[in-house]
This record gives sequence, C-alpha cells and structure tokens, in this order.
Amino acid sequence: MAQINKKCYVYLNGRIIGYVADGETFVKEIRNGRRTGIVSGEVNIVYLPRLNAVHVNTDAGRVRKPYVVVENGVSKLTSDMVEKLNNKEVDFNYLLRRGVIEYLDVEEEENSAVAMSEKDITQATTHLEFDLTSIFGFTVNTVPFPEYNSAPRIGMGASFSKQSEGLYQTNFNRRFDSRGYILYYPQVPIVNTSVYRTSGIASHPSGQNFIVALSSYYGYNMQDAVVLNKGAVDRGLGRSMFYKIYSDEERRYPGGQRDVFKIPAATAEGYLGEHAYAKLSEDGIIEPEMSADEGDVLIGKMAPPRFLEESIGAGGLEEKRRDDSTYLKPGESGIIDEVVLTESPSATKIVKVRVRSLRVPENGDKFASRHGQKGVVALVVPQEDMPFSENGIVPDLILNPHSIPSRLTFGHLLEELAGKAGALSGKMADGTAFTGKSDERISEYGKLLKEHGFGEFGTEQMYDGITGEPFHANIFVGVAYYNRLYHMVSNKLQVRARGPVQILTHQPTEGKSRQGGLRFGEMERDVLVGYGASLLLKERLLEQSDMAPVLVCNKCGNIGYHDYIKRVDVCPICGGSDLQEVKMSYAFKLLIDEIKSIHIFPRIRLKS
Amino acid sequence: MAEEKNAFKITPGEPVGVIAAQSIGEPGTQMILRLFHFAGVATESVIATAGLPRLVELVDAKKKPSTPFSYVYLEDKVKNSFEKVAEIVKRIDEIKVRDLAKRTVENFSKGTIKARLDPQVLDTTELTAKGVASKIGKLLGVETETEGNVITAKMHTKNLKEIRAGSVKLMNLTVNGIEGAGKAVVRQDLKTGEFYILTADSNIDLILPIEGVDRSRIYTNDIFKIYQVFGVEAARNALAMELKKLMEEQRIDVNDRHLLLLADAMTFSGGIKNVGRHGLSGEKLSVFARAAYEETVKHLVNAAAFGEVDPMKGVTENILAGKQILLGTGTVSLAINKDDLAKIKPKK
Repeated sequence: MAQINKKCYVYLNGRIIGYVADGETFVKEIRNGRRTGIVSGEVNIVYLPRLNAVHVNTDAGRVRKPYVVVENGVSKLTSDMVEKLNNKEVDFNYLLRRGVIEYLDVEEEENSAVAMSEKDITQATTHLEFDLTSIFGFTVNTVPFPEYNSAPRIGMGASFSKQSEGLYQTNFNRRFDSRGYILYYPQVPIVNTSVYRTSGIASHPSGQNFIVALSSYYGYNMQDAVVLNKGAVDRGLGRSMFYKIYSDEERRYPGGQRDVFKIPAATAEGYLGEHAYAKLSEDGIIEPEMSADEGDVLIGKMAPPRFLEESIGAGGLEEKRRDDSTYLKPGESGIIDEVVLTESPSATKIVKVRVRSLRVPENGDKFASRHGQKGVVALVVPQEDMPFSENGIVPDLILNPHSIPSRLTFGHLLEELAGKAGALSGKMADGTAFTGKSDERISEYGKLLKEHGFGEFGTEQMYDGITGEPFHANIFVGVAYYNRLYHMVSNKLQVRARGPVQILTHQPTEGKSRQGGLRFGEMERDVLVGYGASLLLKERLLEQSDMAPVLVCNKCGNIGYHDYIKRVDVCPICGGSDLQEVKMSYAFKLLIDEIKSIHIFPRIRLKS
Repeated sequence: MAEEKNAFKITPGEPVGVIAAQSIGEPGTQMILRLFHFAGVATESVIATAGLPRLVELVDAKKKPSTPFSYVYLEDKVKNSFEKVAEIVKRIDEIKVRDLAKRTVENFSKGTIKARLDPQVLDTTELTAKGVASKIGKLLGVETETEGNVITAKMHTKNLKEIRAGSVKLMNLTVNGIEGAGKAVVRQDLKTGEFYILTADSNIDLILPIEGVDRSRIYTNDIFKIYQVFGVEAARNALAMELKKLMEEQRIDVNDRHLLLLADAMTFSGGIKNVGRHGLSGEKLSVFARAAYEETVKHLVNAAAFGEVDPMKGVTENILAGKQILLGTGTVSLAINKDDLAKIKPKK
C-alpha cells in the first residue's frame, strides 16, 4: 500500500508529539508494555498503515470493551485459570493485571482480529470475545432472542423497556421522586436471559407475562392497536400507581418579607374561592389520605405582593398579600399519600405533598413487548366476548398478526412459544442471544407443548367469544412479557372549547398547561382555502379566535371608541362622531396600532 | 355528453393556485427522503441534476442550470448515418488544451511554455499533437514546436508576468469545436435508430447555424437559453416539460395541469419570474400580502411613501383582517336593488 507519509507520526490524543521509525513495532512494544503493567491499562494505541501514523488515546470518554488476549493462536485465558476463576481464587482484576484481559477502544479494534469463539482462533487472531452476548449492551441483553429480530427493532425494544412501569425502587413509598410509576403485581419474565438473571434486575421487574393471541378482533386492533381482556384488567393486569410530588417553599424576600403557609385570607389577591381551600387543615396543608380533585389546593400559601409600593400603600396597617397556593391542575386528581415538612439549607420551610392515583389500563394506554412491538389499547373487551381456546383459555391481549412480518421481529414469536412451553412445564425458558439454533429451539418447545397436550407450533383452535363459532384458522397463542409504558392518556388528555387568551393578541393560549387550543396553522389554513370554504375559514380564524368589534371613523378612516358617559362614538383624530362598527381580527387592530407607532398612518376605507 | 364535459370544467372561484401548490408541494416532501437512496440507472439522470435540487432550480428561475445539457437532433439526410453525425460532432465538440494537458511548464529564461499532452486523452479525440500545436500557434500568435506529445510555445517576451498569463491563456484555448458548446457525444435513439448529439452545455444558439442540425427539434434543459433563442412561449413549454420530466423521474404522479399552471404563472408576464421574494410573491398587488411574506417593514414604509391603497381582494390580506375571503363560497355576493325592495309590501 502506498504510504503517504515517509515518517510515521505519533499522535497523542489527536496532537502530533513526534515520529518513530517503524510504527508497527512501536505499537507492539507499547502493547506489550501495557500487558506487563509498564504502561497504564487505560492507554489505547493503534497503527494506521494507510496514513502511516500511530494514534495513542488516553483521554476520557472513549467507549472501551474488554477482550481476552490471544497470542500466537493461543488464548491467554487457560483452562486452569478458568478453574481458579470459578473457585474464586482469582478475580477479573487479577486477569486484567496479568494481561490476560485488556480493554480496547474503537480505534484499537481496527488493529485487532477478534475471534467469536475459541475454535475460531487462527494464527492471525489477536483477541477473543468472552461471550457473544458481550457485543450487546445491558438493555439489549435483557431481551430474549435478539438475534432473530431486525436491528432497529432491538434498539426500539431497548428504549421501550426504559419507559416501562415496574418496581423501580422498593422504598418507593418513602421516596419523594418528582414522578413515580409503580406496577401492581410485577412479574419476572418466563423467558429471560443470562444477563437478566445474573444482573439482579429480576428483583426490580417491570412487566407481566401476558397471554397473547395473534389474531384480529373485529378491526379493533388495526395498525398497532391492541385489545385487552377486561377480566384480566379487573384482576390486576397492567394496573399501576402514579405518584406525583407537589412541593412549595416559604421563600424570604429582600426587605424582610417572607411567604407564609396558611389558609389564605379571602382578601388576598388571586383568592381562588372558599371551596378550593376546603381540604386544608389549620396549618394550610392538606392532610394525608384525603382525596383531591382538580382545582383543590394542596398547599395554601400567602406571598407578599410582587411590587414593593403596593405594600407600603394605604396606611400600612394591613399589608396587602397575594395568594400563591399550589393546587391540582385541570385533569389531575388523586389521594394524598404523604406530606413531608422539612427545611431547606437556607432554613426556609419546605412542604412536599405526594399524591397517588390508581391507573387502571384504559383506552389509549401504551403497552410494548421487548421486541419493539408497541401498541395502544383500543378496546377493553369483557372476558365473555374474548375468543377462547378449547381449554377455555382466554388471551390477555390480542395482537394483530400484521405487526410481525413487515417488522421482522421473529424473536417475539419465539418468545411466545418459549413462554408458553415454560409456563406449561413450570420452568423458566432461556432466550440468551446466540445460544442454540432456531429449529432446535422450536422442536424443543414443540415437544414440551405436545407433552402438555397443546399444538406443537403454538397454534390452537379458538372460538369467537361473541358468536361461539370456531375460527377457520388456528390461532397462535403464547406467553410474552409485556411492559406497560408510562405514556398514559390520563396524563395527556386535553380539550378546550373556551378558555384563556393571550393578553397581547387576544388569541387563544397554546399548550396543555395553559388549557390551550391546538394551533390551526398556515398549512391547515391553506387546506380550507383550497376547498374554498370561506365561511369555515372565517369562523376558525376570526370568530373562534380573536374577533373584536372596532369602531372605524367614516370620515378619516381611523379607529375610534365609544364614550359611554356622553353616549357617542368618538374619533380621536378628526373629532367626528360618524363611526361604523366593524368586526375584525384583534391581531389586525394591533398591526394597525404598530404601523402607527412607526409613523405610518393607515386609513381604513369602508364600503357598504 | 355536453353536460358530462361541463362537469369536468373548473368552477368559478375554485382556488386552482392553492390546489396546484399543494399537489406539487406534498409529494415534494417525499422527494427529499427519497433522494438519498436513489440508485440511479445509466441515463441522463446520472449526469443531470434531478429531484429536489432541480425542482428548486426551476422554481427559483436560476439563470443557468447546474448541469446544463442539450440534445441536438439532426436533419433526415444525416441522422441515420453514424459517420455523418460524428463529422458534425467533431465540429461541435469543444476541446480545450486543459482537457488534453494536465499542466504547463514555464521556462522564464527561454520564454517558453511547455505542455505535455496526455496520449491517452489525445487518442480518444481525432486530434494530433501537431494539429494542436498549429492551432495554438494560430490562436496565440506564437511559434510552436512539437516533440512527441510535448508542445513548446515560444513566447515573444521573457516578462515573467506575461508568460504566466500566457500559460493560463494557453490552457483555456479551444483547439477543437465551438467555444462554449461544451463536450459533445453521439447517442443513438434506441426506438427510431437515429443518431443525435448530446452536449454538456446549453449554448444552442451556437449550434443552431450548423448545417444538418434540425432546428425544430433541438432541446436544452436551460429555460433561460430557450427564452433567449425561441421566446416566452417556448420557455413556458420547456419549463412545464422539465417539471413533468422531473416528476416522472421521481415517480411522482402530479397532474400536468398543476405543472402547466406553475409554468404559466412564472411566464405570463412575458419574462421568466421566480416564485419568491423577487418574483411572484414580491409582486403581489396587496401591501399586506407582501408584508406578510417577507421584508415586512420595507413594504409598509414604501406603501406609506407612495400612498398605496390595498384593495383587499386577495386571500392573505382578508384572512389577516378577518374578512371572508373572495374565493370558493366567498366568490358570490348578494345585491339587492333598493327600488325592488320598496315594492315588497308588509303583510297586514
């Protein structure tokens, strides 16, 4: 290969620090030094023959992964070393120090020939993988049969499992996390992996083993919708508790003023009305185990006025104060779980209120298996209307079979099969990546299923729950581990018919927290223009938004006003009283005002 | 029959422009995504800009396409003979010294410029080193010598600056074909079997006078060139054709009428106007519509300075003010004759 540089430059963390005569032997020397402990194990070095350069990396933030060192076609991890390891005479760090194991970064991997297993080792091999599962990260390794899925789906499955509800901490009822989701009756997956079992994550399970049928259900599970069994839901399937923390602090302000926790006086500015404070106890804080609905105040607080002048104002006898209470936002409700009073480092009082609310699966809640197969509940069907098998088994969830072939998530099918076999034989099934072959596995599970009187391939004769008629085709039923994801409709649902408007433009507010509307944008506007629906367009953009009656002077075209005392219309420019009321967009009136502010006088000429 | 025919006629007040814009714009969003996995067969689409960049080029009315080319079809008496067509190509095909030689070597003490012609490149043309040398000599007005593939031009001066300038000049000399015509190759139409010429530039005005060229069938993708040579009507048709070709290449099904409307809107003024600030949108009648698009303050200030009156007839300004738009169901209005109104007698 043509060498670009005659000198072999050495780069340390991307900077040239010198050059060496022969890059390859230099790299070998450093590597040997690393294995013997002369050079730090955190140093990675690579020789790039195409550039004839040596890159030495010692900086932070490199992704590194351990490998077994192979020299002259022999793995340095010998069998008696493995034995010692098993007897716990030596540990991982011992092997690391001895140069049996070393960490490679992405760049040094370019110089290595890694064998997948001991029998693949040749003379050219430089390293050996510990285990094939180590090419995946932790989350992917908790997914069973990932090697049967398409790569994007594995990644999706991994990210869904991070959004799942489970038992994230066993002391959740003592914690004050800003939000917490706890799944009722969490289960360890029947089909799990070696990493799942050894990592201890099994003590924090985050899902349940669902009986899943691959079938359609009267069109209710089209396009990633799923159908749930109401009987199963009533028995606790996918049920979870949502914890939310509301907290407030008694702040101090310059000038000696401070907030006070108490039931606000009716004279306070921004008083929400007597009924809102009804659930507060004497100290202005709600009591545990009280139920609270939207609008109910949890923490009553009186704050000093925003501007200093207001308080000094009238005689200074009674200070005018402002209500700054914490209340449940529209759409929120729950039961007060716990109240904590504490102190901040600057010695101010802090109140934290934890509100819990039960979340029973309902239409619009999101579920996902570990194979990137997510779905939204579209229907919760009474158990008697669900399809049932010859044994009377009713699935918990009906998944549309169209979800599988286009996404290439065959691991999902294997998991269902293995889960079913495991459930019937009372054993956990193993789905660790790269262990065993698919046809062997299928026949193994098939044998187990046959022993228990089920179909070899997981298919069963099923009957329509509504008509009682048998289905023409056999339905694939299995047990799959499903996660309930924390995206729930009850936290997202929002409607608006009337509501707050922005001060400047008089147009409706935006966003859920402000009870806002959904924006009817420019492209949506174009659609109505395209249809020629002129009155609908006017209704959307004017009447349902910022319509304002404006008085326009017939004489000079300026905007005037109505003098309620004299009961006449007045034009402030020409002084005339011949004005015409026009309905226009408040934003347009604002535009005219702003144009006036840049010394341009627009006149409105009205035609009748 | 007549009624059925009328059913397909567009209704008065139908916002055809918006519909055309949406019909072209919506599949246009898919074009961006598709561009990346475009394998490409060996056709013109490989050499020419296609897809979204080309659409932007057309709609923005760029003065010259980024990959100009032209098809030169030939008259009946020559079109079926490869030799005759190749003869014409030889006359058109623009070859510069820089195509033949990689670089020049200047000798300032002797006042000479040497250029070594690449024999492999030279072989693909019908030129000889001697022929090139004499052409250089003629064009530069200097004596030349040839030694194998090396051409030495003896400059009349030993001035360093002049030799350097001469060297650049020498490299840009056209030693074959028509200057500005671009590279030309012979192609065969697989359907009719006739031969035609494909050139890598759009200067069809230079090619038109050549004998044997069919002037009625010459074509280029340069809309402005067509406008210069053949006029607006041709430019409008060329624009529509280019748009159509583009959509077909991308396998986007857009009705021709939408593309024709776009081409019409861009050319109806007699020139080629782009869609945007300096073209269609920037020349709207309404002050508010222009101010709502781009450069708000500029339009408002100018309107004030010239005492402009906004007739409030367009869509944008009426939505802005909160009036019913004068399109679709807003096209019609009710007029009552006051005299007739007086005739109505109240019921007793």
